[in-house]
Amino acid sequence: MRGKGAELQVKLRIQRFDPAVGDRRLVPYDVEVPEWATLLDVLDIVKDTVDGSLSFRKSCRMMICGSCGMRMDGRAILACRERMKPIVNAGHVPTISPMGNMPIIKDLVVDMGPFWQKIRQMKPWLDPGLAESPEKENLHSQAAMEPIQKEALCVMCGCCVSECNSMESDPEFLGPAALAKGFRLVGDPRDAKGIERLEGYSGEHGIWDCTRCYFCNERCPKGVDPRDAIAKLGAEAIGQGIDRDPGARHANWFVHSAKTTGWLRETELVPKTQGLVETIKQTKFALSLARRGKVPTPFPPHVAKDVNESRSLYDIVKKQGRSGAAGIVQGEKALRKLEH
Amino acid sequence: MSKVHDVLVIGAGCAGMRAAIAAFDQGADVALVSKIHPVRSHSGAAEGGINAALGNASEDDPEQHAFDTVKGSDWLGDQDAIEVLCTDAAADVYELEHWGAVFSRDESGRIAQRPFGAAGAPRTAYAADITGHVLIHVLYEQVMKRGIFTYEEYFAWRLVVEEGRCVGVICWDLLNGGVQAISSKTVILATGGAGRLYVGTTNAYSCTGDGMAMALQVGVALKDMEMMQFHPTTLSPTGVLITEGCRGEGAYLLNSESERFLKDYAPKAMELASRDVISRAEQTEIDQGRGIDGDVLLDLRHLGGDRIRERLHGTRELSMVFAGVDPIDDPIPVRPGAHYHMGGVDTDLWGLTSVEGLYAAGEAACVSAHGANRLGGNALMETITYGRRSGKAASDAARELPAAEVSEAARADAGVQIKALLDRSDGERPHGIRDELAQTMHENFGVFRQEEQMLEQGRIIERLRERYQRVVVDDKGSTFNNDLTQALELEFLIDLAACMIPAGVGRTESRGAHARPYDYPDRDDENFMRHTMVTKQDGELKLDWAPVRVTKWPPGERTY
Ligand SMILES: Cc1cc2nc3c(=O)[nH]c(=O)nc-3n(C[C@H](O)[C@H](O)[C@H](O)COP(=O)(O)OP(=O)(O)OC[C@H]3O[C@@H](n4cnc5c(N)ncnc54)[C@H](O)[C@@H]3O)c2cc1C
Ligand code: SF4
Ligand code: SF4
Ligand code: FES
Repeated sequence: MRGKGAELQVKLRIQRFDPAVGDRRLVPYDVEVPEWATLLDVLDIVKDTVDGSLSFRKSCRMMICGSCGMRMDGRAILACRERMKPIVNAGHVPTISPMGNMPIIKDLVVDMGPFWQKIRQMKPWLDPGLAESPEKENLHSQAAMEPIQKEALCVMCGCCVSECNSMESDPEFLGPAALAKGFRLVGDPRDAKGIERLEGYSGEHGIWDCTRCYFCNERCPKGVDPRDAIAKLGAEAIGQGIDRDPGARHANWFVHSAKTTGWLRETELVPKTQGLVETIKQTKFALSLARRGKVPTPFPPHVAKDVNESRSLYDIVKKQGRSGAAGIVQGEKALRKLEH
Repeated sequence: MSKVHDVLVIGAGCAGMRAAIAAFDQGADVALVSKIHPVRSHSGAAEGGINAALGNASEDDPEQHAFDTVKGSDWLGDQDAIEVLCTDAAADVYELEHWGAVFSRDESGRIAQRPFGAAGAPRTAYAADITGHVLIHVLYEQVMKRGIFTYEEYFAWRLVVEEGRCVGVICWDLLNGGVQAISSKTVILATGGAGRLYVGTTNAYSCTGDGMAMALQVGVALKDMEMMQFHPTTLSPTGVLITEGCRGEGAYLLNSESERFLKDYAPKAMELASRDVISRAEQTEIDQGRGIDGDVLLDLRHLGGDRIRERLHGTRELSMVFAGVDPIDDPIPVRPGAHYHMGGVDTDLWGLTSVEGLYAAGEAACVSAHGANRLGGNALMETITYGRRSGKAASDAARELPAAEVSEAARADAGVQIKALLDRSDGERPHGIRDELAQTMHENFGVFRQEEQMLEQGRIIERLRERYQRVVVDDKGSTFNNDLTQALELEFLIDLAACMIPAGVGRTESRGAHARPYDYPDRDDENFMRHTMVTKQDGELKLDWAPVRVTKWPPGERTY
């Protein structure tokens, strides 16, 4: 009685984990579901009709509460966002497992404690530095609020953290979600603690430890693009002369690039101008270097396919006369304009 | 963490977190209890906005806001409660902005405000189409800032009332298993709505009305429970909300004959008529055979791909993911879905219930600011204003009250009951009962009600309750056993559905969401400027009436 519509026969494998016995296994299921079912609906039907002990989190079923992060075929997703029909029609039998980089509690439920610990580490509340609040609202133009719009979309689902390359080797790395939250505050014109925040994020396990694998951008279901937030933090930190951290000092190329082009470093544009696959290939190569040499990912300086494109982009941004994070936001917009 | 507090807030949506912040700022030892992480609460799903007479977009004042709300409520709202809401609203919204809420801005840099249904001025402050999301996160930031302790993934199950005073709550610890008692001098229920009573609903899985059902068990009256608002554009079949913004952009509503049927119901306002009018028009079309598989169509195609992509991006994504329909190419199947419960736990203007130490706020409560019909944007405002007030009142009261302690006997008793449920291995899985309840509520207690159908629904509910006595929980483990808590939620839903029957049958008139076109089509102010009050006494439901509190506005006609 889950509504009308034709039925769909779904086969899938779910990684089960029972903490009482410590046993982890892949269990196949085969259920009939309505044709409009999402992965979350399928899990519900399995729980209702096959095995009530299957555990997973859910609430809104409309991609806004961030409860249902998990992996499908090794990629972090929101279960309520994945329509099953195309998968079934392609004859595919997906494997469902819990998110990565977080301890498993049971089945698809992970311990988000460390995730929230990092969020708290960011002191993620506005600090206006005022003795008294204004009588009415703070006055800020929509344009001034623009730089943090994407970060404000974050639903704290953990999909980015699940896939974070750097987190895998350094569990203490602040990670994409927390750093995106960091930029949400640094970029807020109402916050007075920008410099302290940037100093805090520039230390060990901070912004310079990101390997720029871009998995967080790719997997974020809400378009937050945490890696871009980290780039904005980096640009702001350098703009403020915060480069005391050894990581930042090693990043000479970065400083150099930032100095010569303002915020505009082609490295940041690689994924957008060359497509994701290419980026990941390069990242893998860069990563192996980074791991051996302990330096930030050394993207080749002029990889943009179409140099003219990035030049004209640079011109657009320059005309706007913005620098730092606001410049990146402008740059993104300009890029969208060029792409269309 | 000692499990003894001054103020314990059950529920960590906008109402609960705002209450906890207020109590903390009054110096109370306060903790939150939530069955899901606070930011997962369904307040986060609110899209449209929050109403306050800031006067940023045009002349406006609290009095006008109050009148619109009284009229919107079809004169069932308590006017003193509405005046409090509308008077406090502006300062409460400014405070959210000071805390960092990312509101959309107007040209002069103030909070932008847009027009919303049945409001005399553009007074809905908003953050793009993610207002609730922005508010829930800013409140959680403030909770983190204060270090307010949260019993996360704790399922509250039974209020403990000893010698007429609420002294705490008994919970099931989802993460680790086990029945836990938390003692507190005062308790605030902020557990949200109960949309899951219906098969098509905009509400999350977690909206099972737990707080209302818990209050009912300890003898508190549930007020106006028949008043469930239906939203006219919920995606078929799951009920996911399609924003009013579509109609604002110019979308058409069509029946199976491709007619814009609103011409027969609201020829002037057409698709921009108020929610209840459109819901009733849709249901009439569907009932008279001009629906398509129980739906009507929301047609955006004439707006063109560019405009849809640009202005209604979120709607397009929802429609593609949940109905497999790209609104650029095909109309979206929609139907009326259960959206908001105007009814709830009866409270005074400070959230206090009839039990000492027990408060309620937000959608779980009924103060009543919405009467028979809530205006869009007023629910979020109520969570903030009345959340704050209940937090303050509860902490003030706690200062005067002696220490509270849940007796071991009460905890042990709850433990025995849960164990009995867990030990049962022979019987029925809950989903059949749950789905039948939700389906029949839709059929018999939906947009339109009539006596015979409501009574029949009452009998169905009793049969479902009998079946529930033999319900089986598959999961026998202690870690993250939400198979158990979902079964407990089902019992709450059955209790609430049962309360709606006497209230609905007793109100022999049509007012706001309670539409009885076939037996009592008119509003009857002489007899029904009264709230239904359902209590449970010795296991039996009892219906009483309480007068509407009128301050300034005598009943008038509700036409737009
Ligand atoms: C899709 C949608 C859109 C909406 N849009 C708007 C809008 O634009 N403007 C507007 O004004 N209103 C809107 N509303 C209505 C409004 O969002 C809600 O009425 C309001 O957010 C409810 O807030 P709350 O704090 O009372 O409850 P919720 O946010 O639902 O929070 C309930 C809390 O209680 C907890 N809880 C519940 N039961 C238990 C238990 N047994 N034990 C422990 N914890 C428990 C939950 O974990 C949760 O933390 C919308 C509603 C929906 C569904
Ligand atoms: S780009 Fe950086 S933050 Fe994002 S996933 Fe890769 S390493 Fe982590
Ligand atoms: S940044 Fe994206 S993936 Fe990461 S927690 Fe936020 S919404 Fe989820
Ligand atoms: S259930 Fe809320 S995001 Fe999937």
